[in-house]
Amino acid sequence: MRNSTIRNSLLSAASILALLLVWKLLAVYWNQELIMPSPETTLVTMWQVIQADGFWQSVGYTLGRGLLGFVISCAVGVLAGFAAGFSPPVMWLLQPWVTVIRTIPVMSVIILAIIWFRTDIVPIFVTFLMIFPIIYSNVLSGIKNIDNRLLEMAHIYRVRPRRIMTELYFPAILPYLMAGASNAMGITWKVIIAAEILSQPRFAIGTNLMVAKIDLETARVFAWTAVAIAISFVLEYGLNTLENRLKKWG
Amino acid sequence: MTFSLRDIDVTFDDLPVLKNLTMEMDEHQLICILGPSGAGKTTLLNLMSGSLQPDRGQIQGFEGKSISYLFQETRLLRWKTVEGNIDFVLKDHLSKMERVEIINRYIEMVGLSEFRRYYPDQLSGGMKQRVAIARAFAFPSDILLMDEPFKGLDLQLKSALMQAFIDVWLTDKRSVFFITHDLDEAVLLGEKIYVFTPSPGRVKGVITNSIPHKERNLNSDSLRSIEDRLIELITAP
Repeated sequence: MRNSTIRNSLLSAASILALLLVWKLLAVYWNQELIMPSPETTLVTMWQVIQADGFWQSVGYTLGRGLLGFVISCAVGVLAGFAAGFSPPVMWLLQPWVTVIRTIPVMSVIILAIIWFRTDIVPIFVTFLMIFPIIYSNVLSGIKNIDNRLLEMAHIYRVRPRRIMTELYFPAILPYLMAGASNAMGITWKVIIAAEILSQPRFAIGTNLMVAKIDLETARVFAWTAVAIAISFVLEYGLNTLENRLKKWG
Repeated sequence: MTFSLRDIDVTFDDLPVLKNLTMEMDEHQLICILGPSGAGKTTLLNLMSGSLQPDRGQIQGFEGKSISYLFQETRLLRWKTVEGNIDFVLKDHLSKMERVEIINRYIEMVGLSEFRRYYPDQLSGGMKQRVAIARAFAFPSDILLMDEPFKGLDLQLKSALMQAFIDVWLTDKRSVFFITHDLDEAVLLGEKIYVFTPSPGRVKGVITNSIPHKERNLNSDSLRSIEDRLIELITAP
């Protein structure tokens, strides 16, 4: 057990090293910072980016938009999922909406949102449309897959409906919800930054990426990308911790 | 007669499970239902618990009563501990103090005191079965429905639990309906033993066992003779 954990960590470390090596080799091969900046240049640039004015504001705003969009989508997704799970008419009413939302191209949503909303709101709105269907359908399938024998047990033992909800439904759906949330979290970052690139809010990682691209500072594009990846890792870790906490629910 | 089922028919997908079933039973008795598989025994308990409605016939005496049901499967919540699973069914009916006392007593009865904070996934099949038994006994009910509760437990544990069950039952005398395949279980526990016919199920005969539980012993002649009468009834055409 212990040995295999160490071995797995070593394998991951080796794989990261290989990634850096390939990156370095490509940089040497092209030998043009404009096309492929080397890992060390990127690191130095990243340091400069972090030190620069407005870095934390940009990160903070992007993070805030991401989390806001994520939380709103989760809340609405859970509510709608529960409503649809308990009432087939609601499910059939929601079905076409969810299908349409699910299939709209991201770029169409972004462009329309830019026409309709303030630049700050655009990334949140876009995130919502991307994440909501994921959370909704996971919660819905969680409810559909609930073990009826457990429900029957709770009814025979006359457990109050409110407790059946919080102590039976919620924990049973949690794995589905968490799988959806973790999937959605990854998508949120991609979507938020894409939306920021096009909508250009004043403070945003996406805006910085776009500016770096216009300035032809590829190293800065790499640096901001690395920042985005780092944040995404931190959040993924936070979500895992939350999941482990919630497992002991009820 | 306090409990009655009259002319009950239940059919699943054109397959008659119970046909023309009529039973009249008293309260506070240990009633055993013995029959081959496919005789609709579990279906009968589901009718009693109200989770199933018959296609025809009348059921009386069960409505409004509180019921403990020991299912064939354990039906434990994976996200709750041994204590938590029992507390889940008690919480809406008893005060905190009463619950602590009752949970302790029944966990001890099934011999799981050291495992009270374990989750079902950490327990063996037999241990989970014992948690389900503790939950059913701990719940303050008028009626206890048991669907082969001691199935799959080893002999020693089974006789210990049966003894514990008799002790519990003698103190509160709930009305118990008890399904089994096992003749020994039937004669050791049952006061009335209903023998069912194979599919579709109905009552083939009833044998009364009025020997006090404390005096029952599988090696005694009196219990032997009841067992012989049971065998006779089962094998009769």
